[in-house]
Amino acid sequence: MGAFLNVNFIQDLLLSMVRMATPILIVALAELYSERAGLVNIGLDGIMAFGSLVGFLTCYITGDPYLGILAGAIGGVLINMVYAFCTITLGAEQIVYGMAINIFAPAIASFIYKIYFGINSSLITNTLMSAVPIPLLSKIPFLGNILFNHTPIVYFAYLLVPITYVFFNKTKAGLNFKAVGEFPKAAESLGINVIAKKYLASIICGALAGIGGAYLTTCYISTYSDGVVSGRGFIALSAVIFGRWMPGGVLLAALLFGFTDALQLRMQVMSSGTPYQLLAMIPYICTLFVLAFFGIKKAGPKANGKPYFKEER
Amino acid sequence: MKEILRMEDITKKFGEVYANQDINLTIMEGEVHTLLGENGAGKSTLMNILIGLYQPSKGNIYLKGEKVKIDSPSKAVKLGIGMVHQHFMLVEAMTVFENIILGTSKDKSIFIKKDAIKKGIIDLANKYGLDIEIDKEITEISVGAQQRVEILKALYRGAEVLILDEPTAALTELEVEGLFQIIRKLTAEKKSVIFISHKMREVLEISDQITILRAGKTVTTLKKDDTEASELANLMIGKELVTSEYEKVIETKENIICLEHVDFNAKSKHSGISDITISVGKGEILGIAGVDGNGQSQLAQMVTGVISPDSGTVYLNSKKITKFSPHRFIEASVSHIPEDRNKMGLIGNMSVKENLALKSLETPALSMGKGLFLKKKAITNNAETMKEKYDIRCSSVEQETRNLSGGNQQKIILAREMEENPELLVAVHPTRGLDIGATKYVHDKMIDSRDKGCGVLLISADFDEILKLSDRIAVMFEGKLVGIYSGNNPPIKEISLAMSGKIE
Amino acid sequence: MNIKNKLIKILVPIVSILFSFIIGAILIASIGGDPVEAFSYLLKGAFGTTSNIGETFVKATPLIFTGLAATFAYKCGVFNLGAEGQFVMGAVASVWISTTFISIPTPLLLVVSLTSGAIAGGLWGLIPGILKIKRGLNEMIVSIMLNYIAVLFMGYLYSGPLRDGNLPQTAEVAVKLGRIFSGTRVHAGILIALVLTVILYYFLFHTSFGFKLRAVGLNPTAAEYNGFPLKKLILTSFVISGAIAGLGGSVELHGTQFRLMSGFGIGYGFDGVAIALIGQLNPIGTVLVAYLFAVLRKGAITMQVGTGMPTSVIDIIQALVIVFAVAGSALTNLPKVKQFFTNISQKSNKEVK
Repeated sequence: MGAFLNVNFIQDLLLSMVRMATPILIVALAELYSERAGLVNIGLDGIMAFGSLVGFLTCYITGDPYLGILAGAIGGVLINMVYAFCTITLGAEQIVYGMAINIFAPAIASFIYKIYFGINSSLITNTLMSAVPIPLLSKIPFLGNILFNHTPIVYFAYLLVPITYVFFNKTKAGLNFKAVGEFPKAAESLGINVIAKKYLASIICGALAGIGGAYLTTCYISTYSDGVVSGRGFIALSAVIFGRWMPGGVLLAALLFGFTDALQLRMQVMSSGTPYQLLAMIPYICTLFVLAFFGIKKAGPKANGKPYFKEER
Repeated sequence: MKEILRMEDITKKFGEVYANQDINLTIMEGEVHTLLGENGAGKSTLMNILIGLYQPSKGNIYLKGEKVKIDSPSKAVKLGIGMVHQHFMLVEAMTVFENIILGTSKDKSIFIKKDAIKKGIIDLANKYGLDIEIDKEITEISVGAQQRVEILKALYRGAEVLILDEPTAALTELEVEGLFQIIRKLTAEKKSVIFISHKMREVLEISDQITILRAGKTVTTLKKDDTEASELANLMIGKELVTSEYEKVIETKENIICLEHVDFNAKSKHSGISDITISVGKGEILGIAGVDGNGQSQLAQMVTGVISPDSGTVYLNSKKITKFSPHRFIEASVSHIPEDRNKMGLIGNMSVKENLALKSLETPALSMGKGLFLKKKAITNNAETMKEKYDIRCSSVEQETRNLSGGNQQKIILAREMEENPELLVAVHPTRGLDIGATKYVHDKMIDSRDKGCGVLLISADFDEILKLSDRIAVMFEGKLVGIYSGNNPPIKEISLAMSGKIE
Repeated sequence: MNIKNKLIKILVPIVSILFSFIIGAILIASIGGDPVEAFSYLLKGAFGTTSNIGETFVKATPLIFTGLAATFAYKCGVFNLGAEGQFVMGAVASVWISTTFISIPTPLLLVVSLTSGAIAGGLWGLIPGILKIKRGLNEMIVSIMLNYIAVLFMGYLYSGPLRDGNLPQTAEVAVKLGRIFSGTRVHAGILIALVLTVILYYFLFHTSFGFKLRAVGLNPTAAEYNGFPLKKLILTSFVISGAIAGLGGSVELHGTQFRLMSGFGIGYGFDGVAIALIGQLNPIGTVLVAYLFAVLRKGAITMQVGTGMPTSVIDIIQALVIVFAVAGSALTNLPKVKQFFTNISQKSNKEVK
């Protein structure tokens, strides 16, 4: 028990928390943009899987993890464009199509991996992105290591929070964007191009979700496997709900899940008596409890999930 | 006065149907011009053309003497045409300020220069006497205030011609006066107002000129001073106004339902009821008059079991109700023609016959073993019989109800609710969106039910309907019951005042 | 009108399947393979021998269960994405019963075990239902979280308390579902699946309770106003859907796997959702599509062995079918497209006012 109170342990734990929260944060913000434009995208898990593969492969071939991240973004956008077209233009049900993406994207990812590396390969490793400590700030005792000694993607993720906040609350474009998810007909009547904004939201969502996936295989683990995403896409979804569709709330939610994830891993190492599966359950159970406790009082953008058609009689 | 807008020989066809045919409308600068006509006369279509949502099949529009083509809503706004819709286009989760500036960009910055813009808006509001609370969310302000926001939105975008579509539908008498003051200020500043309404009293008060539309065509344009109510009414309908042909019931012996001091969400003025004591007798029609949004929806939901009272008691057939559920009330022979037929009354994706059978699936007539085996043939036959009896126009009883017209959808609900010979019929806006023929049909059937001993609770925003059908008239205002009057030679002036909250 | 609708409903999946195979062929060709050869191995693998054909039925069985679970849930307006977890929990309950209470006579043990599987699945499905009713929670996320918890729980069990010997797996169950065709591994489970299909079809379309469930799925507000017990119906949907999946897990255990180990039940849940969607949310359609998926899965292995083409190609084809089928349904539902179809059919199908 004393091990828990050890400063090094706590520092290590918090450092891990920041790292493990990162993919959830990025993907949750991706979903935030999408839902603010009225599109519920539950295919995040699938986009992440594809992003993680594309990122891994690009990094492996070029040796450059940054290119991997970029590739992940592009890959994510491509996949999400399928979702966007079918839900925005064809009006397919968003939930259903999100599920379709969850089945479709990982299948392609798996396929490409097997084609490139052969069917029975495993444990192909990658060069991971190295941490870029921020000068001066990373020298701060205790906090310096936790907050300022990470790969740039982590910084990017956390910077995205205030950027998103400012976008939605202080800019004209952000206001118009939000209107699309709240009352698209009114927005249209005011000259806002609803369809264009929805596609834009899908591009942002796809890119960020792809980056979130690519992060996993270029900054976090050095191998790719079919289950690398492990449901993080869905945890990101609950982070959006838990965070009440606000960037700050989403950040808190992501940190919470990152914390439970980091904790559970350490507990596995420490108490070798407890079967690891029970510990691995903690993040999921935690998600459930948090959701159950908070419930859903605010249901999110009013026109969320509804298809939008420009009508002529 | 200068001419500011002219619509010349405007024609709009939808398929085979002429929504507008050779319409001529000329608006002068600084005047209030009323567009008068019944539901379906073509007012909405004409206005939709003016704001760029539709393109005319034929005809031209001239703004300040120059021919213009209004091919999109943004173009209309640029040309100085602004519209306040009947159903407001306001984003509820946003503030008044945000709603006003939405979609606009008066300066180059990407950030919203809040303080500067706010000041500009407040100055504009003061100029026209528009009282607004600029930082409140839309959900927090009254309907009248929301309307002022909509007007301000149009003015902020430089509207010279303001179209007000049925602006008084959801306002109290007091708020209507406030609106008229604003309109007078607007015209004093040389703005023109196109006032769309079918309410005679208001039209005669505020208009400078009146154009009457009927069946898609212009009937004539008159100056307000040259005409009066009954002439306008005749021109609007095209025939003599029919006064009520139904006999009124003076007294009833028993009550079917009684409410005593019932509260629900009493604090809310517009979605709650407070200390309501009222009863409906067997064999009478009790009409609830009052502008929509004064608690009528909640009253309807209370007497059909959808919601339960916070305090107070409800007696059905002299028995106190302890458990409120639609099922309980349906079992007690309460039928409901709901406010929103598509959301509350019908399952759009199911067929006509399925919707007709919705409440009687476990009766021995339509199933064996209380629902264990549905008799498909019996269900179909039942539907065919209903179709005949209630004149439901559909290609077959297998057709999905969402493909039927509003009138026929309403007939399905009528058939289903009235065939059971209910003891209490709760009818909310039963003829909303129906044409004259369908309306008369519904009215006849309701009188029929009443004559058979059914108690009818009629809730309608159509004052004429209430006057025509009710044996007694009760008025609701801000959730409270403010008066009960006889439906036989009803004191119209008193009732109108009560509806706007002014009680003697 | 109705016939035309039904026709479109059948055509969309068929066309989607065709498109997907064409793209699959292109994919195979693009990486240097021979589509014709690949597909012929696929067919051989699925239909080449009696044993192979049998295998397709064996593989189809669990898919029918999860497909039915998803179909049923969706028809009632409920998004049950937790079939995987319910499937696993069903198997868990069954494994416990049939390795612990081995003194009960065999046929009875089997019945008890299968029933417990269904109950376990139903209870696991109840959780998202209760959370939805009481706390307004979105059942998708809840059920997916429960999937992970269930699989981890199963892993804990077969590595720990229920472990048999040194390997991470449980003991073999004491009773098994009998084989019904000699020379194949086809077991009675497929019969249970087919009987269940018929029962569900009847239940949904010929009873008042099923009618009410469908009504809730189509328009919960109207259902409520017309006296249907909304909460009770929604909870029932969750429970029945979960029970179907749980029964599926139990059947799979007693029919094919006989013990729990790593990998049990993986993928069946989401596949079930896909099957339900492609099968146009109709129980019969579900069975047909489930069988198609089974054929693809079986044939894929042979194809991989015979031509070196990875099974992922088949995964992609499967995924493409979903993508096209759902898009196709949406496309044919667009007002403009509907107008197009109505114009083609010259009969007077216009709505009469």
